[in-house]
Amino acid sequence: MSKISDAISEIQSLEALSRGPGFVNRLHPLGKLLLTVFFIAVTVSFPKYSLPGLITMAVYPAAVFLVADLSFGEALRRLRVVLPLVCVVGILNPFFDRTPVLTIGTLAVSGGVLSMVTLMVKAVLTVLAGYLLIATTPIEEICRALRLLHLPKVFTVVVLLIYRYVTVLLAEARRITQAYSLRAPGQKGVAWKAWGPLLGQMLLRSMDRAEGVYDAMLLRGFTGEFAAGREAKLRPADILWPVVWMLILLALRLFPVTSWIGNLFV
Amino acid sequence: MSHIHMDIENLTFAYGAGEPVLNGLNLHVAEDESVGIIGANGAGKSTFLRLLVGLHFPFSGSVRIEEIPLEKKTLAKIREKIGFVFQDSDSQLFMTTVGEDVAFAPRNYGLPEDEVKKRVDDALEKVHISHLRDKSIYRLSGGEKKLASLATILSLTPDMILLDEPTVALDPRNRRNLIKVINEYDHVKLIASHDLDFIWDTCARTVLIASGKIAADGPTEQIMRDEALLQRYGLESPLSLTKR
Ligand SMILES: Nc1ncnc2c1ncn2[C@@H]1O[C@H](COP(=O)(O)OP(=O)(O)O)[C@@H](O)[C@H]1O
Ligand SMILES: [Mg+2]
Repeated sequence: MSKISDAISEIQSLEALSRGPGFVNRLHPLGKLLLTVFFIAVTVSFPKYSLPGLITMAVYPAAVFLVADLSFGEALRRLRVVLPLVCVVGILNPFFDRTPVLTIGTLAVSGGVLSMVTLMVKAVLTVLAGYLLIATTPIEEICRALRLLHLPKVFTVVVLLIYRYVTVLLAEARRITQAYSLRAPGQKGVAWKAWGPLLGQMLLRSMDRAEGVYDAMLLRGFTGEFAAGREAKLRPADILWPVVWMLILLALRLFPVTSWIGNLFV
Repeated sequence: MSHIHMDIENLTFAYGAGEPVLNGLNLHVAEDESVGIIGANGAGKSTFLRLLVGLHFPFSGSVRIEEIPLEKKTLAKIREKIGFVFQDSDSQLFMTTVGEDVAFAPRNYGLPEDEVKKRVDDALEKVHISHLRDKSIYRLSGGEKKLASLATILSLTPDMILLDEPTVALDPRNRRNLIKVINEYDHVKLIASHDLDFIWDTCARTVLIASGKIAADGPTEQIMRDEALLQRYGLESPLSLTKR
């Protein structure tokens, strides 16, 4: 039960974060969205053995963490469920690709191990980039950016509603499980026999609730369009931030920067 | 002070192919009136209020708010003028904090952020819950939720507010507090409630809905003292009257 409350307050604190007053928060959402997509595309495009080059990509999330004054530990805690999951990708690579490609001291590293680590780093960087976008941009702003890219209204409305409903449904789940546990004292969790009716109740009530919430949104002027309330005027930073970053990321991808740096020390 | 009035003529509405819930209803509400809407359970009070903010189409007859006809294409305008407080606060509040929820409507109407902030300040002030701005919706009591719901619609500075069963699930203290807040608000008010004491305390005029029509209409005092009338429609005179 308290897990549900935890989940709700987690979403709430993330949302509060996204509405913060910081520099990154105030940037135009379209620039941030495009930059995030660009970052993910570049990251994913690294060949499967080029771990050193890939690691230089971390400069972007690192910079955003610093500039936006976000806590890295907090991010890891929030992503504690997702990160291990995405790290599973490539876990089988070491079994298929056993040719040694690199030796560290006396240790021979096989292509499989290297490509596994590369994949994991890619996955972690991708998730971090997504997290940074969400932590610095309210969902309405992201939807506004999607609309500016001419994504159909249906799509953005669904994105927004899912986001809104998650908390509403969690709250509903909390009410139901609380009512259950009050009448089943001393019981841990919910007995499997009660799952059917409980889920049925939850579904019905959630649908009811979802309809009510949608009505309430319509009454308060929600049309599926997202007005540019926050920062209506485009400022130089709105363009400079994404463009400069894209150039940096592109340079890191195209030129062997790590070996240059390595050469400096030889 | 607003100068809004409402004319309803021959309003008829049914859910799907069912029996009409509203059946040839006529009502005129003048500027700055507060009208209590009473009637037995299932008489159509909620349906009536929801219809006025465009949640039930199609209907026949006409509804005009300040000469603007209620139609799909006038909805944005009408919803800016009329605020509706749901019976169920949990549907009304869907953002994460009170402040965010109150800001939702002005943001949708594209107001600049400093104006939004001002609207939020004013709305919270009006219902005396400025201290709850950053509080999470899920940590509010029933009474606080009701006041927060009211604030979420006041932030659009409506000329008319509709409240559906506002006292359901309120304890006496919160109920008194709500009466005070509503009485401080000097625009048109339509309040549907089976809580006749509450209507007594907030509305100068009362209309009784039965069989889809206005069965009685007059000063609240006159309607409430008409015990035969109330009894005929399954209602009980307010406690504050019987005690005297
Ligand atoms: N969504 C709906 N679909 C079908 N019938 C409904 C719906 N909502 C209400 N009704 C019916 O309409 C009638 C009026 O309901 P309502 O407006 O809620 O009355 P009141 O608020 O006065 O208690 C009732 O008979 C009710 O069963
Ligand atoms: Mg009702």
